[in-house]
Amino acid sequence: MPLKASYRHTYRLFIIIGVLAGAGLLARYLLVPSSFGQYGAYRGGAVEAARRGEPLHLGQQGCTECHEEKVKLHAKDAHHRVQCEVCHGPGRRHAAEGTAASIDKPRGKQVCLTCHQLLSARPGAFPQIEWREHFRFVGVKSDNTPCTRCHEPHEPLYMDRDVRTARLHPLVQRCRDCHAGRTRDPSTPQPAGHPAIFECSYCHSKITKDFAKRPHHKVRCSTCHLFFKESEFAGRIIRDADPRFCLLCHRAGDFRSDKAPPGIEWPAHRQEVAEGPEDAKKRCIDCHRDRIHIVPGKGDRP
Amino acid sequence: MTRSRREMPRRELLRLLAGGSGLLLVSCVPEAGADSRKGYDWSRHYWGYAVDTTRCIGCGACMRACRAENSVPHGVYRTWIERYRVDARGKVAVDAARPDGPSFGVVPGEVVKAFFVPKLCNHCERSVCTQVCPVGASYATKDGVVLVDEERCIGCGYCVQACPYGSRFIHPTLHVASKCTLCYHRITPGLQPACVLACPVEARLFGDLKDPKSRLTTILRQRRYRLLRPEMGTHPKCYYIGLDAEVV
Repeated sequence: MPLKASYRHTYRLFIIIGVLAGAGLLARYLLVPSSFGQYGAYRGGAVEAARRGEPLHLGQQGCTECHEEKVKLHAKDAHHRVQCEVCHGPGRRHAAEGTAASIDKPRGKQVCLTCHQLLSARPGAFPQIEWREHFRFVGVKSDNTPCTRCHEPHEPLYMDRDVRTARLHPLVQRCRDCHAGRTRDPSTPQPAGHPAIFECSYCHSKITKDFAKRPHHKVRCSTCHLFFKESEFAGRIIRDADPRFCLLCHRAGDFRSDKAPPGIEWPAHRQEVAEGPEDAKKRCIDCHRDRIHIVPGKGDRP
Repeated sequence: MTRSRREMPRRELLRLLAGGSGLLLVSCVPEAGADSRKGYDWSRHYWGYAVDTTRCIGCGACMRACRAENSVPHGVYRTWIERYRVDARGKVAVDAARPDGPSFGVVPGEVVKAFFVPKLCNHCERSVCTQVCPVGASYATKDGVVLVDEERCIGCGYCVQACPYGSRFIHPTLHVASKCTLCYHRITPGLQPACVLACPVEARLFGDLKDPKSRLTTILRQRRYRLLRPEMGTHPKCYYIGLDAEVV
């Protein structure tokens, strides 16, 4: 019996350990969620919860069902990579509820400028404008004019037809008098003396002959001369007023192919060649006129 | 004889303890097994992300799409864009655009080099944020996405401090840690994350690193890229193509 009495304290120890272990297991049972440890040291149910959400952006396919024409038009344009929902906002509610849930239709020019505002950090090959200069350039008077006045939002590289006819070069305007659409109406007979083709050389032969000898001879007239009517130039649109116009082709950049025209760094190039303060204001054409063509009535120099 | 009789219970005790602790250990061992939900086997994917900084135009469509898709509240953001401008002396100026703020404006002053860097959670292979979480609320899924269990998170903010990329924040109304989920609700049914979908210049690319034919793995084979803060040892899975030395 004295032997047994000496074990008594160890029994107590067992009881205490047992109670502690039981309490620990109970606490663990109560505190640790049931799915904890299902996949790792976290709650398995959380993964399911993370997957449960409903996608709000549907992508272009979500719009095709109702707006097939718009999507098709958009697919051919330079903006084809721009998803509908970038401008119009997420479309799930609109697709589910139809017109009851309206979708964003941004109107102001700020929407276009979020991408096309001229910024030094934007890649050089990306089309960018300073809108005030652009407005002056194309002859838009009011600052509140939205970009969509001229640029069809789903096909922005093609101008809105009304604007196009209103500002055309006089000769092209005359074409449009008969050819309202893009193709000639075959039922109307061709008038006598109708030129086979309206080439620029028809009226501007002096320039085109000279131009054929210059390094730019492969460039089409319409590349530089948009047939728009701008107040400053009374019917002849000349884009050389802005050095950035030349830079559209000649800007040095990462995206240039081997066939691209020689690239220059601007405005570093102007600073390099400038000899005085007047030179610092020079435009490309002030030095490089001989690479383009003569201007009749002004001799070889402008 | 007496000694051996006295030793027996100790052995028993040790056995008992060993058995008990073994049982405890067994109850803690995670079950091996794949996500059972139909149509998606997460053990077959390992998601990664690439950003082509030479393409980004800083328009912010990604940030706005993320905000709308994930109902990110005002004042916080899961993805953002930084603008780096370097002048002729090599001085670097950085500013950022937030999804709820104005877009990048024109800043006066000559710059010789400038570019945009979109940023988001790097979904690191050895993420610091999941290691520091005291309650097991931050975790990485088998398909390589770092997520937060909003029910379990106590909002202590350790992970926010631990993240070397600053991609976590405390949700202002839920008071839990929140971050980019790579749009887990979109990618598991096979869609793209909202930011990738919204990018108009394909500067963001999402793909499967386990698939040798995916566009992401192809691009990572062909293009030169850099990781953000590789010295942290986090093994980020967000690959930056054409990234400049100024960016950290």
